[in-house]
Amino acid sequence: MAYKLDIAPALPDAQNEEVGASKFCPGCGHGMVLKSLAFAIDDLGIKQKTVFGVDIGCCLLAWNYLDVDTVQNHHGRTTPVIYGVTRANPEAIGIAYMGDGGGLAIGAQHLVNAAVRGERMLIVLVNNTNYGMTGGQMAPTTLPGQVTETTPYGRDCDATGRPAKGAEMIAAIANPEKSYVARATISNMRKLRSTFKKALETVDKGGFAFVEVLSVCPLNWRTNNVDTWARLQQMEEYFEVKEFVSGSEGQNG
Amino acid sequence: MATMEYQGYKIENIAKGKMDYYVYTELCKGCGLCLAKCPINAKGEKCLSWSKEVGIYQTPAVEPDPALCIGCGTCALICPDSAIRLEKKA
Repeated sequence: MAYKLDIAPALPDAQNEEVGASKFCPGCGHGMVLKSLAFAIDDLGIKQKTVFGVDIGCCLLAWNYLDVDTVQNHHGRTTPVIYGVTRANPEAIGIAYMGDGGGLAIGAQHLVNAAVRGERMLIVLVNNTNYGMTGGQMAPTTLPGQVTETTPYGRDCDATGRPAKGAEMIAAIANPEKSYVARATISNMRKLRSTFKKALETVDKGGFAFVEVLSVCPLNWRTNNVDTWARLQQMEEYFEVKEFVSGSEGQNG
Repeated sequence: MATMEYQGYKIENIAKGKMDYYVYTELCKGCGLCLAKCPINAKGEKCLSWSKEVGIYQTPAVEPDPALCIGCGTCALICPDSAIRLEKKA
């Protein structure tokens, strides 16, 4: 039987300890992404001036996950709310946390315009190739041939187009001197943490940062633990994992 | 901040007796991602396996074999809910 342990789990300081187990499904990638983000906030010591915005979708279950100021927004409108906060309060470091639906479908316009204007914020887009909260429908990022609730015979690229590549799109339009654009994956947690750290440093200097994270959704993919990692590997072959723009080095913003 | 109390179990003397392994049953959801990522040794054996203990959703938690575990910390690194902690002995 379980008994009381003498030491606490190794939680980051920026994570809300009182919540206990998070509300995400077993095996959800959001826990890993948020853990890395919280460790990156700890590394830079910016917990007190961070504003965290969560979108509609599975990511809204993160509303009390972090021990930072959090605001929850309409679907796709996290980006404008957070750059409104950072424009009004130049001290604040804004983080907009969204899924692939909120970032590349309904919120695509805000994402594009924030990148063009180079708003002072970090956008974290968690890509799990479907709409998780509503039951696993096809999303803009669904892989060709992938079976979802609304594509029972696999995604047909002739009828529904090719998967949206968010990081490539933002890399093409963001200011190369003041932006940080990267794609990371939860299969490499150390790299994910350092990617968030670089992105937050860019924002701290006054730049724009966009990090797309390849994540997993075992419940809606209907995969077990081994197949989940195999599916993530397929995603890494399709979506290239690298830094696209890292132009903030040596700049003062 | 209120001091939290954590329920769980402890497996002592992993990694040739240099570390302790803590599993927090209030946090473990039994997803098994750690089991898939646990590295195999030259004989193809994994140190992690399902435990008799249950996590928060009454699904099995995990436990390492103290003789095989090398204390690499991959399971603790990828656990989405921070339910595993490896601690060096003082």
